[in-house]
Amino acid sequence: MRGIIFALFGGAFITLQGVVNARISQDIGTWQAATITQFTGFIAALVILMFVRDGKWQGFKQVNPLYLMGGAFAAIIIFSDVTAIQQIGVTLTISALLIAQLGLTFIIDIKGWFGVQKQKMRVPQFIGIGMMIAGVVILGF
Amino acid sequence: MMLGLVLAVIAGSLVSLQNIFNSKVNERAGSWATTTLVLGMGFLASLTFGLIFEGKEMFNLHNTQPWYWFSGLIGVGVVICMVQGMKLLSPTYAIAIVLTSQLGFALLWDSLGWLGLDKVPFTISKLVGVLVIVGGIYVFKLGGGEKQRAS
Repeated sequence: MRGIIFALFGGAFITLQGVVNARISQDIGTWQAATITQFTGFIAALVILMFVRDGKWQGFKQVNPLYLMGGAFAAIIIFSDVTAIQQIGVTLTISALLIAQLGLTFIIDIKGWFGVQKQKMRVPQFIGIGMMIAGVVILGF
Repeated sequence: MMLGLVLAVIAGSLVSLQNIFNSKVNERAGSWATTTLVLGMGFLASLTFGLIFEGKEMFNLHNTQPWYWFSGLIGVGVVICMVQGMKLLSPTYAIAIVLTSQLGFALLWDSLGWLGLDKVPFTISKLVGVLVIVGGIYVFKLGGGEKQRAS
């Protein structure tokens, strides 16, 4: 039960992030909003890291430098997310975003890119993606 | 409408890549060191793009309200909830619930026009659309063959 509550809040926070970013962007601009939210999040995470000390900074050295850059995508993610929310609303934005996210992850799993363990194609995943796309079409009406 | 959809697809594709990259860092460095790095990188990239596209306007922040400076805490809440949710459930179930919750709250906040965003009126077809997508998520995630991964 606690796990379900954490997962529900996790999802609520992710959507809230998009909504809040869109709101702040209206006032001060999208890049400014992205910079402020990432900066304050960075400081908060740094403070928590000091306390929990689960961090193994040396671990960074064992990771392919390309993967360390993943966080930089956030700039384009936030810009696109905010602009999309302003254009087509939160529901359609999140729906299209999730389909692209799950779809690309699925392709990467099948192809085994980035050293992920290769997965076999299964029928339920195709049906699932088909249903999600059908849902977005229904949303568009 | 097309522009919005294209941007959402770009964002979703990058989220997918970012999740894979972050999980590789996470395996070695733990969740808080990873979160700190990820947000730090996001900050530097946003600042850089802002300076390229807006120059000095980037520092014109006089419309800023105090609560903006706490907005980053939402990201910290995301990490805490995801880590705990996946620990207490399985990653597959946790992610399916997270995605469902994301869509449910999106519909709620669109309908309320919350935080001064344009209100998108609630209709039955919106609800049906979201339910079909959620059904698709469960078929996709729980239909077997998907590896247990946080994405």
